[in-house]
Order: sequence, then structure tokens, then C-alpha cells
Amino acid sequence: MNDEELRRLREAELAFFGRIAAGISHDMRNVLSIIGEYAGLLEDLAALAERGKPVDLERLKKVSGSVGRQVRKGTETMERFSRFAHAADEQTASFDLAGLVENTAALAQRHVAQAGCRLEVELPEGALPVRSNPFSLQRAVHCAVDTILSCPKREEMIAIRIVREGPGAVIRVSGRVERGTDGELAARIAQLSAVLSELRGSLETSATDDTLCLALSVPIE
Amino acid sequence: MERIKILIVDDEIDLISTLAERLALRGFQVETATTGAGALERLAENGFSVLLVDVKMPGIGGLELTAEIKRVRPGLPVILFTGHSSFDDAERGMQEGACDYLVKPIDIEQLILKIRNAVGAKEGFQS
Repeated sequence: MNDEELRRLREAELAFFGRIAAGISHDMRNVLSIIGEYAGLLEDLAALAERGKPVDLERLKKVSGSVGRQVRKGTETMERFSRFAHAADEQTASFDLAGLVENTAALAQRHVAQAGCRLEVELPEGALPVRSNPFSLQRAVHCAVDTILSCPKREEMIAIRIVREGPGAVIRVSGRVERGTDGELAARIAQLSAVLSELRGSLETSATDDTLCLALSVPIE
Repeated sequence: MERIKILIVDDEIDLISTLAERLALRGFQVETATTGAGALERLAENGFSVLLVDVKMPGIGGLELTAEIKRVRPGLPVILFTGHSSFDDAERGMQEGACDYLVKPIDIEQLILKIRNAVGAKEGFQS
């Protein structure tokens, strides 16, 4: 890889990181906004109680439960983001591929939902240990989901399935899409191929009448 | 004086239900919708004074919804909620015809001021 290619790669990686971070920031702002509304509601109920309205204990318990749910949601979001961010710590690391893909898919859910779709992930039973570049793998999965999202769709579901195959593992990302390819799709597939090349993996694209499937092969060691 | 009737549109159910309760405690008549399509259906039936619309929603997003509202009910004020600290979305929303915006988390007193300003401006425009 020459200097120019390396520069472009780093720019693309930074853009990917920024995009995920912006999504998390949006999710966390929503969580804090909801907690803020519940705090405001408690103030309103306290003010009403001061003016003589009896306190509705069941209502208070419900608000408390809702705040707890938002705190758990925010905590889970931050834990997922932490796992995502720490994937950039080392160029090569040993990790569970299934866990990494599950985390990447969870972080992509809101972005996918914004496009009117949903992600379904089928993981293998048990862990699938690999030694690879975790950050680039996350980027590859995200690129594959984005590639399917960029196509006009017949169905709202995008499926991610991981299987062990030969000396490696294959992550299949597929969705029912309208036929026909254009320049944008070709460019996305080329970008995804480049990411997989960095991982010493490969991309196989297959299209039937109505389904586009991207098979991301990655070596286990 | 007729009560101000508000439609809140956001896919975050916890947010809109709590905000609706707080606005109702302050004397507003409030309804909610969790999608842009649902909001457009309600718009056909009800006499709303103002709409509060989140920018980021699955399906019909807030900016698209604002443009559609302005097409079918040009005099109906729309106030946008945005979760982004950048003002790009808000500026785009104002270009689509929104009269004002708020960045989440929402300050209820600021929101009420904006609602009253929007409804007052609409009534001034109509008289």
C-alpha cells in the first residue's frame, strides 16, 4: 500500500469512527432527554402535592421504573460503544468474531431503522475465536450493511449470518433488493473488497432475482 | 379562550408520553404520534394549533414531514426537536417551513414560550 492509499484508508477509518460516535451521541442525548422529562414530571407532581393533590404512589413507582430502564439502556449503549472504540487499540488481536459482529450490528440498528429497515443477526452456537484486525472487521460488517441499505429494497429486513467454513469464517450479509446495479453499488462493493483485502479476507457477491448477498470471508488465524 | 391543541411527533414513546403529560398539566390539549405517517393521518381529522416534530424518525423524517405539512396545511406552525448539537438540521427544517426549533434535552418553559409565540403569530397572521 503506497502513502496515498494509506492516507485514504486512514481517512475512511476516521469517517467510519466518527459516524458511529455521532450515532451514539444521538442515542445518548435521547436517553438523557427522556430522563430529563421524567425528572421534570417528578417536579410537576411534587408541585401538585404541595398544592394539596394527593401523591399517586403507583405513578411515582412507574416513573422510577422508567428512569431505571433508560439508565440501563444508556449503560448498554455506552458499553457497546466502549467495545467498539477499544477495537482500535491493536492492529491485530484475538477476539470472538460472533461477539464482535453482534456488537457491530447492535450499534448499527438505529442507523438501519432510520432507513426504514431492521437487522436480524444469526450467530453460531458458542464463541468463534479469531485473530485479526477487530476495527477493520467492524468496518467491513458496517460497509456490507450500508451496501445493502443503499439498494432499493423489496423487504425491510437485512440478515447477518456467521458460519465457520474451512479454515475461516464467513459473515453473510443479505437483503431482498430490486434488481439492477448502478455505479454507487459497484463503488461500495469495491470499497468493501478493499477493507477485506486488508484483513487477508475476500468478498463474494451473489445476486439472485431479488436477493443480494455479500459473503465476507475472513481467516480465523 | 380556546385551549391550544398540540400534536407531538417522535418515535421515542417515553419522551412524547412524558412531555404530553407535562404539557397537559399546564393546560394544553395534547395528542401524540410515533411516526410521520401517523401524524399526517391525525392531521386530516383534528384541529391542531401547533405541531412539535422530531427531526430524526424512521420512515418519514421530521424534515420531510414538515415539508408535507406545509404543503397540505401551510398555516399550521411546526416546531422541530433536534437531538444534534449542530444546527444544520434545524436550519434545514426552517428552510422547509418550520417556525422554530429546540435542541434536546427540552426545557419545558422554553418550549411553552415557543408554542405560545408560534400560535400567537399564526392567529395574528389569520386575523
